[in-house]
Amino acid sequence: MSSFAWRLLGVLLLCVVLTLSSSAFLTVGNLLNVLRQASLIFLIASGLTLVILSAGLDLSIGANLGLSACLAAAVIKATGSIAIGIGAGLGCGMTIGILNGLLITMLRLPPFIATYGMLWMVYGINYWTMAGNTIYGFPAAFREIGSGYLLGMPIPVLLMVLSLIVGSVFTRYTTWGHEIYAIGANAEVARLSGIPVRRRLILVYTLSGAMSGLAGIVYLARLNSAEAGIGEPLLLPAIASVLIGGTSLFGGTGSLGGALIGAVILTLVLNGMNLLTISGNWQPLITGVILLLAAGIDTAARKWNESQA
Amino acid sequence: MASARRRIPGIAWLLAVLVLFFSAFGTRFASAPNLINIGNQSSILLLLALPMTLIIMTEGLDLSMGAVLGLSGVVLALLLADGHALPMALAAALGVGTLFGLANGVLIVALGMPPFVATLGMLGVAQGIALAMTDGQSVGGIGSALPGIYASRWMGIPFAIVVALLAYATFHFLLYHTRVGTYVFAIGGNREALMLAGVPANRYHVLIYAIGGLMAGAGAFLLTGRMSVGHPTAAVGMEFDAVVAVIVGGTKLERGDGWLPGTVLGVLTVGILKNGLNVMAVPSSLQIASIGMLVIVALLLDSLRERS
Amino acid sequence: MMTAVLMILAVSCGKPGEDTAGKTGGESIAVFTKNQTNPFFQTVRLGAENAAKQMNATVIQYIPTVQDSITEQLSEIEDAIIKRPGAIVFIPVNSKALVPGIEKLNAANIPVVNITDRVLGGSVISFMGCDEVNMALNTGRFLLQKLNGRGNVIILEGVGGSENSANRVSGYRKALAEFPNVKLLASQPANFQRVQALGVTENLLQSYPQIDGILAANDSMALGAIEALDAARRKALVVGLNGTKEAIDAIKAGKLLATGDCDGFSHGCLGTMAAVRHLRNLPVPKEFIFSVMVIDNTNYAGLDVPYDQRMCPSWESVVRDK
Repeated sequence: MSSFAWRLLGVLLLCVVLTLSSSAFLTVGNLLNVLRQASLIFLIASGLTLVILSAGLDLSIGANLGLSACLAAAVIKATGSIAIGIGAGLGCGMTIGILNGLLITMLRLPPFIATYGMLWMVYGINYWTMAGNTIYGFPAAFREIGSGYLLGMPIPVLLMVLSLIVGSVFTRYTTWGHEIYAIGANAEVARLSGIPVRRRLILVYTLSGAMSGLAGIVYLARLNSAEAGIGEPLLLPAIASVLIGGTSLFGGTGSLGGALIGAVILTLVLNGMNLLTISGNWQPLITGVILLLAAGIDTAARKWNESQA
Repeated sequence: MASARRRIPGIAWLLAVLVLFFSAFGTRFASAPNLINIGNQSSILLLLALPMTLIIMTEGLDLSMGAVLGLSGVVLALLLADGHALPMALAAALGVGTLFGLANGVLIVALGMPPFVATLGMLGVAQGIALAMTDGQSVGGIGSALPGIYASRWMGIPFAIVVALLAYATFHFLLYHTRVGTYVFAIGGNREALMLAGVPANRYHVLIYAIGGLMAGAGAFLLTGRMSVGHPTAAVGMEFDAVVAVIVGGTKLERGDGWLPGTVLGVLTVGILKNGLNVMAVPSSLQIASIGMLVIVALLLDSLRERS
Repeated sequence: MMTAVLMILAVSCGKPGEDTAGKTGGESIAVFTKNQTNPFFQTVRLGAENAAKQMNATVIQYIPTVQDSITEQLSEIEDAIIKRPGAIVFIPVNSKALVPGIEKLNAANIPVVNITDRVLGGSVISFMGCDEVNMALNTGRFLLQKLNGRGNVIILEGVGGSENSANRVSGYRKALAEFPNVKLLASQPANFQRVQALGVTENLLQSYPQIDGILAANDSMALGAIEALDAARRKALVVGLNGTKEAIDAIKAGKLLATGDCDGFSHGCLGTMAAVRHLRNLPVPKEFIFSVMVIDNTNYAGLDVPYDQRMCPSWESVVRDK
């Protein structure tokens, strides 16, 4: 059975367990909540997936989300225009992404170090400018992005589906997408076969940054406020989602659909813990075990495939 | 073979610049008490960074060290609070750490899981157990034996620094003067050759992770002594600091190319930067930005020098 | 090098309090807060700066670069001792684990004024803070009275295991004990964070079709809960704790019922004043518990001022009341 199928099975299993444990789980309202909560993680994880596909890593996504959200918030307040604010947030995200890309391709820094250094610098700038304050109170039209509905679905969920479709088409059916997989599988071979590796790498980091910026805007709309540290708790869940979803850190294999499943699994666990009023203390343990299970299944599947070949 | 053909590495220059800068602009930075503080503050990180060097040399990673340190510290504190003798409690803490290290090794070497994922998962497991055991609270009432040892001085040198020096000496000897060390270089650089020579490379590979867990336990001993309590999340993120110290010190993430003295320089550089910025009363947000810049500049120096 | 440039920049920004000769005053006070992210501590820092300016002293702020880091706060204490400030105003990241730090300060003969959260050891000149249990009790009681003593409520807890959370939840539970016809449906942690409170509340709204009141252990969580209620188009009375500006705005807008006032700004003010007074050999009470006020839409006016325009109250006006 393909690893994607295994994961889908895992999601179904979780749903069955939760339905049996809590009468509130299998309701439209709750399921929409779960999807909406998962979409916030997925938006950030989608850009990260592209980066990891290229055998890279982006540790700055949480910091990026925070700064982009705060900048968007400040601009909306200053100019009164939602559009300009959104533009500023996306622009901020992309800029950080481009800088990451340049550090990695031009200055040849390992992605771990480059994005880790960027993480600290972005937080530094964010804490300095926000000075521990919160920016809050936004127009209702803007807040619709986070809490509104369209066609019966929460808007963040629609954004998630849109990102999934666009991203999947990009990775599977465009040349650029194929090139990214190739770079992840073996960057040297890719370069030798004529792929402009540097340009593609800058592209993936820019996209990761842009998605962090977008996620920041959605967060801002959902929370109706911006603080410097809102992205901090998101880094590990985002990485976990991508990995649980089956994308390999070595690059070259994985998918956005997998990242979505990963995000859903993590959110289901949290949702279940709330519905069953289980203490938050158990969450890291459960998340860790799920991660190990998913990786174990992947590794076993890979070995089995290798032994068959 | 140990790669000793290095000119003065970039990190040494960086360290020198920082020391000069802070000595000039920071009141009493270069005073004995402050330098001792830096040593104390850096010692726990060094205990983690030493095995991390070996792990990174074998193209691996251990993200669980901070959580394992926390769990070991909790175990240590709970046993002490319950009235058990210090040697026994210490043995238990070291045992817990080694156990998790072994688990990491088995997952990575025997099962073939990618180190990032395996250790990230174990981070959650260790963290979760520690939180569940303590409900997120500190564990106090550990008596005065351990804090007393932490505060003691040996020929004028604080205990933590002594431990760090001993640890460094041990690792240095292990890596550069024993067969095990040769194997470590080989596992990262040319594993096949090792296997062909009949060496059970896997066993040594697992050993490296087990040592990492053991050192996390040792770190817990120092940290619990420093805080006088055990705390489940006190060391969260330390493994990232350790990775950065190792890489900033010159060990590469690929190619099995490692330099242990560089790790010490890396740990000291981070410690000096943080301490110096505090001594100069630099605002916290600028401190945060500086740490990011340091990391990037250090690597940049290295990569520029390599190209010239 | 870039790092050097950044640091030269930092020198010009961050080198206060070195020239103290000759003034009556010029004491250097080191203020320790827990993190950069929680607005509460920003108000503490502002209060401290305000008080210092009034009294002709200077303040150095110590904030861990890793938020809420025990090890870093311990290191900061060691680094601060090197600079020999006149006195310390201290909020511990953890009440037990920072005791060795206080003991180091004691050994170095640097006086410590402990504010907001008690340190459970070491010797301090004074503790000035809120009685959190009482604050939560009064605020909870206020909400339950508004419910006329009947209905369903939920509690949003803070960080699992923290003393703040434990105290506040305990206060809420005491209030609940006074109203036997009110049912506590659930008590769940949301880590004092807005986004988590939002998620937890919207999950609980699914489990329980009837929620009449939400008792949140801080304002951020209360505001997150309000967002969840709005999005689900449900109504409930919500109370928070801390008395932040954003909470007061929410009270004005009719969204938040009330907030318990644990005014960080006053902690910073009074704590710094106490430290300076001690250095000038003026009397300082060994303990000072700020009176608790439940702020609702009838009495918010005094606190509805932007922080940079607020002035510290005078020492006599506050301390004499006790």
